[in-house]
Amino acid sequence: MIVGEQKPISEIKQIIAPYQKVLILGCGTCVKTCFAGGEDEVAVLASALRLVCKTEGKRIEIEEQTVERQCEDEFIQESAQAVSRNQAILSLACGAGVQAMARRFTTAPVLPGVNTTFMGVLEKPGLFTEECSGCGDCKLAVFGGICPFTRCAKKLLNGPCGGSQNGHCEVSSDIDCAWHLIIERLKALGQMDNLRVYLPPKNWAASLSSGPRKLIREDHML
Amino acid sequence: MSQKSQSKITVFHCINVFGDGDALPAVASASGELNFIKLPCSSMVKDVFLMRAFEAGADAVVVLVCAEGACRYVEGNLRAKKRVAWIKALLDEIGMDGRRLALFNVAAGDARSAKRFIQEALSVAAALGPNPAAARSRSDVALV
Repeated sequence: MIVGEQKPISEIKQIIAPYQKVLILGCGTCVKTCFAGGEDEVAVLASALRLVCKTEGKRIEIEEQTVERQCEDEFIQESAQAVSRNQAILSLACGAGVQAMARRFTTAPVLPGVNTTFMGVLEKPGLFTEECSGCGDCKLAVFGGICPFTRCAKKLLNGPCGGSQNGHCEVSSDIDCAWHLIIERLKALGQMDNLRVYLPPKNWAASLSSGPRKLIREDHML
Repeated sequence: MSQKSQSKITVFHCINVFGDGDALPAVASASGELNFIKLPCSSMVKDVFLMRAFEAGADAVVVLVCAEGACRYVEGNLRAKKRVAWIKALLDEIGMDGRRLALFNVAAGDARSAKRFIQEALSVAAALGPNPAAARSRSDVALV
């Protein structure tokens, strides 16, 4: 899922300052799961902003709504009426959701309320970790399901650097050494020979380095 | 002190601390206006409930939870504690002062301790003054 965190209230206040009627629009998928922009977070943020505005004597009307997914036009259509009632939309979706809203509602300012952080997993309750960089050229089959590009601080693709200690990265002891994990995993799988597989230089053309990417599925186009 | 007599306190409490048959802590009405809200478990005190209590004009909010290790649902009071800490930080961030929100562990039916904690919250509310958002008339700001 896409992981994000809500912007500080001070920044949100600044972003919405020019507007008196604001729709806070949540997204019920990824950012809900990481407690950044679901229905509950919309309600708490709306309440916090109302309290701030009342304290400062500023007039503001805040409307709250959450759609299932802000990155799909089919779902964001549900917000059309609420959008028309307000001067601006404070989106608590990821950056993709904010841009999908901006594309759909061309005359309404769509403002981000969340910092989109990474693609990751819920490792345990309250802990989200980055697992994928979306490089477009996945080699997880070779690395035992652990991505060295994302999880190695040095992004080494050809073995460990030698600086790790007790399975932790020398960059920070909070980071598990990806190559330690890869070797342990391959041992458990009986696939240590994978480390002898020659991997040609990674094709970075498939990554974001070559500019924004598109995925085209002709069979789903009409 | 005039502010003290006007303080409004919202008290969220687990029904396992004070159930239907138990007497709620009696605090002299002159001390402040108390609004008790019972919950099936303190873990049900969602972030937004605490915020809405302040929106509704509370000068302070108290959450009474079971003693640690005594939660019928094992960890409900621990979850409530974490949520309260989160909202206290949010209140500080928005300039409301997190001290307006407090959580206390109370043994089942211990009205005496609960009364002491509520009086403590009343003192904090009196020291901090009225809820700054409620100090302005509700009609000043339109709510949707």
